[in-house]
Amino acid sequence: MMLPLAAFTVAFGLAFGVAASHEGVTHWEAMLMSVLVFAAPSQFAALELWQTPLPMLALAATTLTIHTRHVLMSASLYPWLKALPLRQQFAVIFMLTDSNWAMALGEYHRGERNIGILLGGGIALWAAWIAGTGLGLAFGGGINQPERFGLDVIMLCFLLVIVIGGNPKALMILPWLAAAINALLAYWWLPPYLHVMVGALTGGMVAILLPKRWYKTGTS
Amino acid sequence: MSSITVWQSLLAIMLMAAISYGSRVLGLLIMARLPLSPNVQLFINAMSSSVLIAIITPIIVHGDGGTRLAAIMAGMVAIIFRSPLASIAIGIVCAAGWRWWFMS
Repeated sequence: MMLPLAAFTVAFGLAFGVAASHEGVTHWEAMLMSVLVFAAPSQFAALELWQTPLPMLALAATTLTIHTRHVLMSASLYPWLKALPLRQQFAVIFMLTDSNWAMALGEYHRGERNIGILLGGGIALWAAWIAGTGLGLAFGGGINQPERFGLDVIMLCFLLVIVIGGNPKALMILPWLAAAINALLAYWWLPPYLHVMVGALTGGMVAILLPKRWYKTGTS
Repeated sequence: MSSITVWQSLLAIMLMAAISYGSRVLGLLIMARLPLSPNVQLFINAMSSSVLIAIITPIIVHGDGGTRLAAIMAGMVAIIFRSPLASIAIGIVCAAGWRWWFMS
């Protein structure tokens, strides 16, 4: 079950490496990101914001917004991890990603109590992500005109896929539409990078303003 | 290649790493013991996908035809087949095809 996921992760890492070398991120920067941040959505988002001078505040705010989701995810794993000493909890939780979280929670509900699944799976994905990044950097740098081969759309497609794949609910169309419109308006008329925050907050607000019974009927 | 200094990018990467690790630890330490209202959960879930929407919308709107076609096709493949790699591959092929057809 872990093996296909690891193979996917190598491929995504490769996509990240290629996109990074095209966006002007140096090899060591991209590699350090993959090693330390280990989160595809925020790394791809950072590529888009990687301009001169670096917009630190926008980078931090974007990362924070993307990662608030991880707060919920790690909280849901707490019942499983609380048996461990605190130091080991901290080590295991570093491995938390969108994909192995979903898998780990599934295993937990099926009665699995072996933390090794979470830790081993996490380490495998981490290694796969780093290896993929290295491959992508090695091959991506050799291409002179990435636009001609369509390589500049990797980041865009990846972010699109994460949005659609992570939230397959038709219900999210309204919040997303509102987020897209407001982000575009902010992109045109507000100072640079604010559109990211405006869109994120719009989406969140619209989601809680929708009638609660829509969520109960389970539209999907 | 660019005039971003080593220290700046190191700082930026460290910042990202601290935030991404911090949010994972925070959930474990605090949120697991604090009951979150459904509204807060809903807000956080919607916000963390909307931030990605906010990033890609201007790219699509201001992109060339190849970029737009890639986005539409990749989105459709993602919805219908639920295969992330297939939709990225379709996106690349569409963008490359569009540019080969219209710009060479």
